[in-house]
Amino acid sequence: MLETIFFKISFGLYLLALVFSGAYLFIRREVYSRWVWRLYGLGLSFHLTSFVWRTKNFWEIAENRFYLPINTFFGALSYLAFAIGIIFWLVEGRHRLNILGAFVLPWSVLAAGAAMFFADPSLSGLVPSLQSYWINIHPLVLMTAYAFLANAFGVGVALLIQEHQVKSRKPSELCYRLPAIEELDQLQYRLIAGSFPILSIGIVMGGIWAYNAWGRFWGWDAKETWALITWFVYVGYLHLRLFSGWRGRKTVYLAMLGFACVIFTFFGVNYLSELHGYLSGG
Amino acid sequence: MISLVGLNHHTSPLTVRERLASLSLEHWIEKIPRPCGEDFGAVLLSTCNRYELYWTGGLSQELPISEWQREVGLDLAPFLYRLRGSSVARHLFLVASGLDSLVIGESEILGQVRRAYEHSRACGLANKPIHMLFQKALYVGRAVRSATGIGWGQTSVASVAVQLAERVFGDLKKSRILILGAGKIAELSARHLASQGTREVWIANRTWEKAEDLARRLHARPVAWEEVFLKMSEADLVFCSTASGEPILRRSQAEDLMKKREGRSLFLIDLSVPRNVEESVHSLDGVYLYNLEDLRGIVQMNVSKRLGEMDRARRLVFEKAEEFHRWHEALLLGGEYSFKYDRKIA
Repeated sequence: MLETIFFKISFGLYLLALVFSGAYLFIRREVYSRWVWRLYGLGLSFHLTSFVWRTKNFWEIAENRFYLPINTFFGALSYLAFAIGIIFWLVEGRHRLNILGAFVLPWSVLAAGAAMFFADPSLSGLVPSLQSYWINIHPLVLMTAYAFLANAFGVGVALLIQEHQVKSRKPSELCYRLPAIEELDQLQYRLIAGSFPILSIGIVMGGIWAYNAWGRFWGWDAKETWALITWFVYVGYLHLRLFSGWRGRKTVYLAMLGFACVIFTFFGVNYLSELHGYLSGG
Repeated sequence: MISLVGLNHHTSPLTVRERLASLSLEHWIEKIPRPCGEDFGAVLLSTCNRYELYWTGGLSQELPISEWQREVGLDLAPFLYRLRGSSVARHLFLVASGLDSLVIGESEILGQVRRAYEHSRACGLANKPIHMLFQKALYVGRAVRSATGIGWGQTSVASVAVQLAERVFGDLKKSRILILGAGKIAELSARHLASQGTREVWIANRTWEKAEDLARRLHARPVAWEEVFLKMSEADLVFCSTASGEPILRRSQAEDLMKKREGRSLFLIDLSVPRNVEESVHSLDGVYLYNLEDLRGIVQMNVSKRLGEMDRARRLVFEKAEEFHRWHEALLLGGEYSFKYDRKIA
């Protein structure tokens, strides 16, 4: 009960913060973006409390003891919303981009909203194949990487806008409020470069878990295939940026393609994959 | 009663203001016989655009004027304005807000008003009405700038260029700048950039001596003309203002340059006529080329934005001047007026 109330409060705060970030985009008063940051921070703490409470309830079922409740669509979406939010909160707290919220928070709110309105929050016992310590690591690691990539996407949108502003030769007020092109480019690179090892480790861990559970490392399941495609897109990004002198707009397009793959891997594949379907609860 | 006598850039030529500027507050306070036993306060606001004396007390307005005329040996009557009572506060608040400046909304004037007031305090010439008038003026000057867009954007070509470069590279302290040409425009741009504390400024010119001469004056480094392309691949910001009839940087050269720079952005400012940089260079990824018209266009846009804020700024100023006037009237009648509750107390 308390878990649901806290989750609803956090969703309400996220939504309010999203409204403020939208308001900043149009009215551009810095005080709005400060409120985005404060409200999101508060929402995240409610969310964390709700998650802890949910874990406590989850553990009341004997076979679930010490596994995290992220086996269902609800659990996964809830964690994803939290991870995107916390990385946004840290990046914004340090770099004060102000505009970042408008492009990153929709993903977090979308995940939290999908969890609240479309996913079944009820708890049940884990099926035997998921009763492994890997469930505490493999999905968590991958979703953390996805959260980084969602933030990189947001920074990329800001970079495209700023690039367009300077190129247009008629920069509007927005241009003077956005960070410099080179700074945004660096930030996006750092977010992607930081998430890449996490993404790689997450995929390898999945392989090891698959080997333990199903006796094979790789099975070309739809989720596995799309995770690999995503991985290759980001390999391409890093390669072109580091060794071929790609910067600015072109790299942003590539990072956006990568993020589209992330979204498809996370959501779309659930309808294709037998083994990784949250919808089937498996 | 508060009085003001002065002249400014609207009413007088620079030569007249220059001659007056040498007369300090102390100078004429000594010369003019002050009315005995009266509470007297005075502030002299002297900048390159205005020379204004504010005072309280029964001193006649003609006394300082005749003293000024005697000093400069000119008939100042056609240039002067004389204000009394509530219109003095109104005038000073307009001045402090930058609404009476040559460049609307400029912020330098606020510091000049503050220094004039501090000087009067140091001379022991600030009494209660002067304290309130000038503290209120400083407050209004700041309030108008934060509540309206009167100080929005940059209003000179060089400062707009620097501001745009900051939107590409962030802090220019880490940037290297190459200046092509050693003429007057090059020098002005270089001076402005040097004041930003950039990492390094290089100056290149076809005539080595000119580059060397300018570089020495600006603590920059002269660069041989043959090395220009090498330096372009290292610099972040390139200013062009040479008299060359042929383009110095063509598209194909810029393409090579960007390969060498490994994609790092290049900001080109071409202030020369005819142009030094081919227009098509701008369409390359990571290259941003601005010419004189682009920058002038932005300056004009900023100025018109400021002008659009004039009415709002004026309303705010008049409102505050009215408040001050009520306070001062209450004071003259021996009472106190509360700014906070907008009414007379005690």
